[in-house]
Amino acid sequence: MKSRLVLLPLLFVAIVLGGACNRKSSTVAKDPQRNAFDSEPDWNDAQRVVLLNYQEAQGKRIFYAQCVWCHADATPAGPSNRSNLKPIPALMNDGAVLNAESDDYLQNIITLGGSAVSKSAMMPPYGQTLTQEEIRQLIAYTRAIAQPPYQPPARAGSKYTAK
Amino acid sequence: MQAEGMGRISRRLRTAIAVASVLFVIALAISPVKDLLREWKRYKRGYVSFAETRPDTKRLLADYHPDIDQIWIPELGVVDRCTTCHQGITQNSLLDASVPQPFRAHPPIPHRIREWGCAVCHRGQGAATEVAEAHETTLAWEQPLLPIRFIQASCGACHRGDLPETPQLNRGRQLLATLNCAGCHRLQGIARGEMLGPDLTSIGMKASRQWIYKWLKEPRTVTDSDGNVKVNGYDSEGTPPRMPQFRLTEPELQALSAYLSTLRGNAVQPFHVDPRVVAAWSKRPDLVAQGEVRFRQMFCSTCHSFAVTRAGETKLIGGDIGPELTKVGSKVNPDWLAAWLKDPQSYLPHSKMPRYQWTDEDLYKVTQYIAAKLNDSDLLTNVPQLAAPTQTEIQMGRRMFVDKGCASCHVVQGIAPQRDLGPDLSAEGGKDLSQLEFGQSKIPRNLIAYIQAKITDPATVNPSARMPLYRLSPADLDALTTALLSMTGAPAASGMQKLIVPRTEGSFHPAGEFGRVFDRYKCSECHQFNGVGGTLAPDLSYEGSRAQRQWLISFLKNPQTLRPTLVLRMPQFNMSDQEAVILADYLGVGLQSPQVDPSRVDPKGLTPEKAALGKQLYEVKYQCQSCHTIGSSGGYVGPNLSNAGNWLTPAWVMAWLRNPQALVPGTIEPRRSLTEDEIQALTAYLVTLRQTGKSPTNASVANGISSRAGSESGGQR
Repeated sequence: MKSRLVLLPLLFVAIVLGGACNRKSSTVAKDPQRNAFDSEPDWNDAQRVVLLNYQEAQGKRIFYAQCVWCHADATPAGPSNRSNLKPIPALMNDGAVLNAESDDYLQNIITLGGSAVSKSAMMPPYGQTLTQEEIRQLIAYTRAIAQPPYQPPARAGSKYTAK
Repeated sequence: MQAEGMGRISRRLRTAIAVASVLFVIALAISPVKDLLREWKRYKRGYVSFAETRPDTKRLLADYHPDIDQIWIPELGVVDRCTTCHQGITQNSLLDASVPQPFRAHPPIPHRIREWGCAVCHRGQGAATEVAEAHETTLAWEQPLLPIRFIQASCGACHRGDLPETPQLNRGRQLLATLNCAGCHRLQGIARGEMLGPDLTSIGMKASRQWIYKWLKEPRTVTDSDGNVKVNGYDSEGTPPRMPQFRLTEPELQALSAYLSTLRGNAVQPFHVDPRVVAAWSKRPDLVAQGEVRFRQMFCSTCHSFAVTRAGETKLIGGDIGPELTKVGSKVNPDWLAAWLKDPQSYLPHSKMPRYQWTDEDLYKVTQYIAAKLNDSDLLTNVPQLAAPTQTEIQMGRRMFVDKGCASCHVVQGIAPQRDLGPDLSAEGGKDLSQLEFGQSKIPRNLIAYIQAKITDPATVNPSARMPLYRLSPADLDALTTALLSMTGAPAASGMQKLIVPRTEGSFHPAGEFGRVFDRYKCSECHQFNGVGGTLAPDLSYEGSRAQRQWLISFLKNPQTLRPTLVLRMPQFNMSDQEAVILADYLGVGLQSPQVDPSRVDPKGLTPEKAALGKQLYEVKYQCQSCHTIGSSGGYVGPNLSNAGNWLTPAWVMAWLRNPQALVPGTIEPRRSLTEDEIQALTAYLVTLRQTGKSPTNASVANGISSRAGSESGGQR
């Protein structure tokens, strides 16, 4: 009798606590495609699809309007102007070349043109045509499609990683 | 005894009271403990410990407070507590993908989050304070979060016109329009066209009953071994055939084909080619080959596509303004074809096809070529023997024409056009789960799965659905879904109603002589004029400021010499001198840009010394040759400038060099910081570039690239 009386409140506490803790968010199965703003097939491997977030997707749009003519081997209109130029412009996904360059450097060369950073004057300045934000988006897209993949410079001391 | 008894009772009582007090204390503790363990508080605490691991802890925690955070905008009906957990949403340093959710920053968008809230775009339950309630469908809240894949739908809820930032939504709206969805459904922002499918009043004169039967059964003539075709010529995107596949039974096919083959409402005047031409050409062995040459020269492929098989893969190559023509020779009656080519509008008054100026010789060669080469003798092999239509079949076919929804898109004289055959979809994108009928289907219970099942296979949801089958690529299916999701009906809050940005409609209705020629050659099917027209070719709204009159006339007379390497380019209309002059005069006077002022250009300033300096600037300082061709060398991105002196007006060149986007918004030539002297010098150089004779060779792939770029990016060159 006595032991039952002691058990009762314990049970009660257990139920209350259990009820309070049990409200964990139910995780829905996440389809990565559904959570990407847009996607782009890997230029080197058509089977692999690169998922793009909002910023990268806007960069993709700008790329296909402005840059694709010289920085890709195939364009929406067929022929590419790339092979026509000397020095030959880098492919936009060429990680071997572009991964080594910092975001600031890319921002500069796109804004001011090739001649401003002692490169070919064939690269025109886009500072008055695209906004700084659009150029950032373009760089984000370049980073997303880079092959070999782009590794952002490490940030010190974060124990968190992306889920 | 009594005392003993009392003592025992009081001991029991004491125990009971002790237990009761413990219970009471516990009960009192429940609430604070529960409160302490709330989900959002965990995220609040988590953010603090996360911020401490970042180098800019101080800034991240500057406006931290441990309570629920709420964006409250009464006029929009916004009560969003999402920022309670999504605490880093406006912190630029948390934009990186390595930042864990829910702390990551929102990517920079044109709207400020504090002024709009979150659920306006992302849906979900803004006022909820638990993840599951905020993100998912619950008993009390039926709108879950919109997957990011379809988020452009939210832009479209207010922005009824196309935005450059939302290509998927724009594509979806374009599909809704081209697939004639408005024929049966009411759609928000997409009006029902006057004429959707071809007028069938005289179809019996054009095609045989066998062909009609085949077409109704399987409305595509080009298929590969899988029964499909990759509709992607040089374009990365293709448009599926506009005629969908209806689920018709054998007797229904028989009846409809019988009915349609008897329709001969408007007598078409047969056109007879001059017998002397026939006599001269009919025996020549190169008749068909010559016909093909002419057919290609006229650039029929700018509007019509043809199947090409390369490396075992069948592709359609060519434009999509007119129907695909690979096997048209097996479809149309040769007499009808000649009459049609001579004057398309006498058969179909709403046809988009220009009325070409034909010589009898050309017409004969081309029709012979079409009949001989663009056909497939096996096309009708699987069609059963069809006898002459009986009266019962015709009666039944006529009834079915209305019942099956044919009359929603196709006109037949004497049959009232049918509207609203399908459900109203103008508020489909905002529907709650309880408003959707899933029936026995096994699809996931959500709006997106419902819409996609309805489009891909309507019978899964409703076995008796009349809706035909559309075959869409996964990307197009998502685009169409996005466009439908954007149609959320009238907004609940009146504040939202005021924010709707309507689609801007241009207006261009030329009349008189110019209007007649303009209408004859259907200029606005490809070119834009003041925001009206197609996006395939350059926008001509300011053509009068750009091009010189003499150049325009010779171009209109013979467009192909200027753009010989293009796949899709201006057809050869064979227009008369008089028509070319009428067009050039109107363009020159009527379509001028206010930004281009010829009176500001001093021709005396364009000296040979200036031109020499301009050449230096062109070749060395700015290296324009990376995109433009002069003579035989240079790039293919911009137009060929070999004949710039005859083509462009000096005033246009100067205005263009100052700011290209001011003249043609969205053009790809970047604006540079040129000084006025440099602009003068470059102009002086460019106006000296003239090609003599009538062969501007190797003209612009360039023009092609830029005009196609225009069509990609929404219509500007």
